[in-house]
Amino acid sequence: MAWMKPLFQVENTMLDSLLSWIGSRGNTRGKSLSISVFDGALKPNNLLEEADTLVENAGFSDLVVGAENRLLAACGTAVVEISTAGDLIDVAQFGEAVTALTELADGRLAVGLGDKVVIGAGTGTETTVDTVADRKLTAVTALYAAPDGRLLVCDGSRSYGCEDWAWDLMGKKRDGRLIAIDPKGGDAQVLASGLGYAFGAFASDETGVLVSETWNHRVSQMSDKGVRPAIDRLPGYPSRFAPAPNGGFWLSLFCSRTQLVEFVLKEDDYRSEMMETIDPRYWISPSFGSGKDYLEPLQGGGVKQMGILKPWAPPRSYGLLVRFDANLAPQYSLHSRVGGKNHGICAVAQVGDTLYALAKGSGRILKISIPKTRATLFGEDAA
Amino acid sequence: MIKTISRLRYKYWPDHMVGEVLQKPWMETVVPLAVLVFTIAFFSFQIDNFISTANLSDIFRQASELGFVVLGISIVLIVGGIDLSVASIFALCNLLVLYCMHVWQLPLAASVGITLLGGALLGSVNGILIGYFRMRAFLTTMVTLIVFKSIHDLINVKVAMPISSSFPDSPMWDRMGYGSILSVPTAVWAFGVVALFCHILLTRLRPGWWLLAVGGNRRSAYNIGLPVNRIVALSYVASGALAGASAIFYAARLASPGADTGSGLEITVLTAAILGGIRLGGGKGSVMKAILGTLIILLLTNGLLRMATPAGTSRIILATILLLAAALDIRWFKNRHKAVQELYVSPAYLDLPRLPEDVAAPNSAYAPNDRLREVETIGLGEVEAPEDVILDNDDNLYCGNRHGEVIRFFAPDYKRHEVYARIGGQPLGMAFDAGGTLYVCVGGMGLYRVTAEREVELVTDETNRSFLSVIDDSRLKLADDLDILPDGRILFSEATVRYEMHEWQTDALEGRGNGRIIMYDPKTQKTTTALRKLIFPNGIVLGSDGQSILFAESWNCSIKRYWFDGPKEGEVEVVIANLPGYPDNINVASDGNYWLAIMGMRSQVFDLAMRKPGFRRRMAKQLPGDEWLAPNINTGCIVKFNEAGEILDVLWDMQGENHPMITSMREHKGYLYIGGISNNRIGRIKLDGVDETFVSSGKYHVG
Repeated sequence: MAWMKPLFQVENTMLDSLLSWIGSRGNTRGKSLSISVFDGALKPNNLLEEADTLVENAGFSDLVVGAENRLLAACGTAVVEISTAGDLIDVAQFGEAVTALTELADGRLAVGLGDKVVIGAGTGTETTVDTVADRKLTAVTALYAAPDGRLLVCDGSRSYGCEDWAWDLMGKKRDGRLIAIDPKGGDAQVLASGLGYAFGAFASDETGVLVSETWNHRVSQMSDKGVRPAIDRLPGYPSRFAPAPNGGFWLSLFCSRTQLVEFVLKEDDYRSEMMETIDPRYWISPSFGSGKDYLEPLQGGGVKQMGILKPWAPPRSYGLLVRFDANLAPQYSLHSRVGGKNHGICAVAQVGDTLYALAKGSGRILKISIPKTRATLFGEDAA
Repeated sequence: MIKTISRLRYKYWPDHMVGEVLQKPWMETVVPLAVLVFTIAFFSFQIDNFISTANLSDIFRQASELGFVVLGISIVLIVGGIDLSVASIFALCNLLVLYCMHVWQLPLAASVGITLLGGALLGSVNGILIGYFRMRAFLTTMVTLIVFKSIHDLINVKVAMPISSSFPDSPMWDRMGYGSILSVPTAVWAFGVVALFCHILLTRLRPGWWLLAVGGNRRSAYNIGLPVNRIVALSYVASGALAGASAIFYAARLASPGADTGSGLEITVLTAAILGGIRLGGGKGSVMKAILGTLIILLLTNGLLRMATPAGTSRIILATILLLAAALDIRWFKNRHKAVQELYVSPAYLDLPRLPEDVAAPNSAYAPNDRLREVETIGLGEVEAPEDVILDNDDNLYCGNRHGEVIRFFAPDYKRHEVYARIGGQPLGMAFDAGGTLYVCVGGMGLYRVTAEREVELVTDETNRSFLSVIDDSRLKLADDLDILPDGRILFSEATVRYEMHEWQTDALEGRGNGRIIMYDPKTQKTTTALRKLIFPNGIVLGSDGQSILFAESWNCSIKRYWFDGPKEGEVEVVIANLPGYPDNINVASDGNYWLAIMGMRSQVFDLAMRKPGFRRRMAKQLPGDEWLAPNINTGCIVKFNEAGEILDVLWDMQGENHPMITSMREHKGYLYIGGISNNRIGRIKLDGVDETFVSSGKYHVG
């Protein structure tokens, strides 16, 4: 299983860092600022923007497929089941906002409540975990039930809660952790630390344990020697995973990259004053949704001409969902381009032939038919 | 402390001059000039008395002689050819003038005339073969080099004796050879006059431009009707004549009909031309470059000789320097524009007052609303970039578009439209005078007017050049808005002198006072700059006292008043200081107040960037223009204010659906007409409770 080399080869990272260091000295034009482009399997389309909406609610924050193909979502302080018609049925209520959600193999719910993980709420065997390896959980961003029975927990930050992720990004923090909890005993083990904001975890027999390092724009893989990058130089901020048939998986990216953000991350004086004096909603940083507030920063390419905002303008928010196969190679992708509403895809779930994606920028759960998507992208025969 | 120093540094240090100096055309010659200075410095250290009058005098005399030939070959290189035969023409003319002066004892003028004619004739052989018979320049001139040399060798055997055995009886001749006028050698005077004439010819006279045109692109020159063959032929004739002139001074100095006169001259001359920076491909070159190249060559050979370097080493050194200088010059030539691009943008420190916290609150003066949602559209999709709109007494609507036309929409339904006049550029601010003539500020061109008979006339496109400005600011780059004053003069704004109209985002990033307000007096037809160093002055409107104007400074987010007349003439005061957005055009309202278009809203992030010039400079260098922070002109609003600076009313379209971008509005008979430079429509909204007979323009006569 682990011998299948990922087709997305990762270069010698030391040489890379050396070149970046050289490039950042002096006033060279951005080798250190360059970002990957959307090409190949990631060629832009507007499938997410054209998708149907199943249900809309500003409180949605996570999505998972439970037993018997029921669709569960975290909505505000509750966990709800969404019927095929789009009605919300309460499943569980909590005292704080639910930030992560998954269902274990035995049917119990596991939820992240920001700074703690509650397993089996409402049943007799409820366990709460809030400290692992002498460090309190701060931002439980994602949960995943691994096939071997463990519960994978992503703790994104040491200093900021889930809502304050922008502080973690612009502060250049790398405090994310990937934790495995044994749901029966409750003992927890740190699988990896020092990650660039863990925002999604996945495990399967073919791929091993994967974690998305959002601020580093990569998906890392756990191996015997520790954690190493598996899918690198993504053109976005990777978020949560979802399993797909034939061993592959879906990766949601909640925004795409712009050179301006990379530039501001290098400018310490400006960035620190921006963080001290300006509301985080109006920072130069990615966002789950944008376009409603004129106080948001605008980049030159985002100026409308003749009333049209060009779809390839530098994005403040973007919708991106990529299908990978078991070899960690991207197959195809669904986008919502600049100017659209369905941005900030941070959770996804596949039920049979239907794909459900959570667009946090618009608060919608989108419903997409996979055969139709494949037909659009590859022609009628590929469906 | 560090912050204060940094602020003062950005305020007073003129770093905008670096980019401005670099983009001057004469900066192309900076590499040969540097080589020359380095050569002089090097040799004056190594050799005593290198910079003494005697030595320099001698060097300049030789330089002038060589310079004539270099000038000639430069002209040929500029036209795109090459002339290797100058060496033989030089030798033949040397023989000719010596024969005339020594053997025939002709008067000086006649000898000079005959020799120049002889050189021209020899050059015309090249000219006819290359210009008219379209033979290859290199091959042809190499052949004529050999042929003329053979002729020279044949003749030399016969005439060398007669020449050497007699002397000319002409003190002028001797003066030419080794005398001086006012302690400057005669040859230098002659060369100076010829070089000056050639410089004026190349830069300011039509024949010189034709030379450059043919060299630049022969096919295009042919297509526009230039007599390409004749121009090419004449350039070889000139080269021959100039080689003859050089031979005259050489003969006067040495009087030597030697067998190896001028051998190797073609190489030296080509080296000089290339060292000076004249491209072998044609189309570029100047007299200055020829002179620099000549001086470098001569100083190098002279200096190396004085340092007793063996001939072989001397040539190797010369060749190496040629290689290095040529390589450097080509690098500079190709990359100068990149250096200019990197260094031209010089952001300044702009400290705007902080945005009031509650600008968007429901009870603030600027409270957002949706009153512009109900805007009717005129010409949706039919007109592009109507920056300003104006109506005449018959209610017809006029606007500019980005194809350089003024479009007229016919009253009363504005469904029919026609091209009223074609001006070119992008028409911006407009005003009618009392006679129905439409005055238009045209971006990129200046101030124009369209008479009532639809004739387009230029009013003014230049103003007085300011003394200390590196940029030639006598041209108008972005005339933005105007107003006609009661005494018939016109005041108009020029938004920026450093950037073109399509580069307004770069000017926003700079935030430097690059703009000015200009006064045009039709009685004297003089244009003068009234106010300088304004930060993107935009809208202009006459104040109610008839002695002042209100004007908007876009990136400074303020409205100011300037007195052009009366007891307070020349003073400027602030009317509104801290607008929440960037003001554009201002026009009068029917109740004596003013309408102001705010084209974009301020954001805290952009305001913070304006206080960090270093951040903006690095952003301009490291990021492409699409990625820069820009003022948010996707959302705008219309504000009504009075002369005391109080905000009376605000109209928004928060969704930006119907009227996304606003640069101008005009009240006319109860309606408000709205224009925007990035739009493809004009908007119209009914105003309640206003004077329905109000016409906002056309009160005053011009002149």
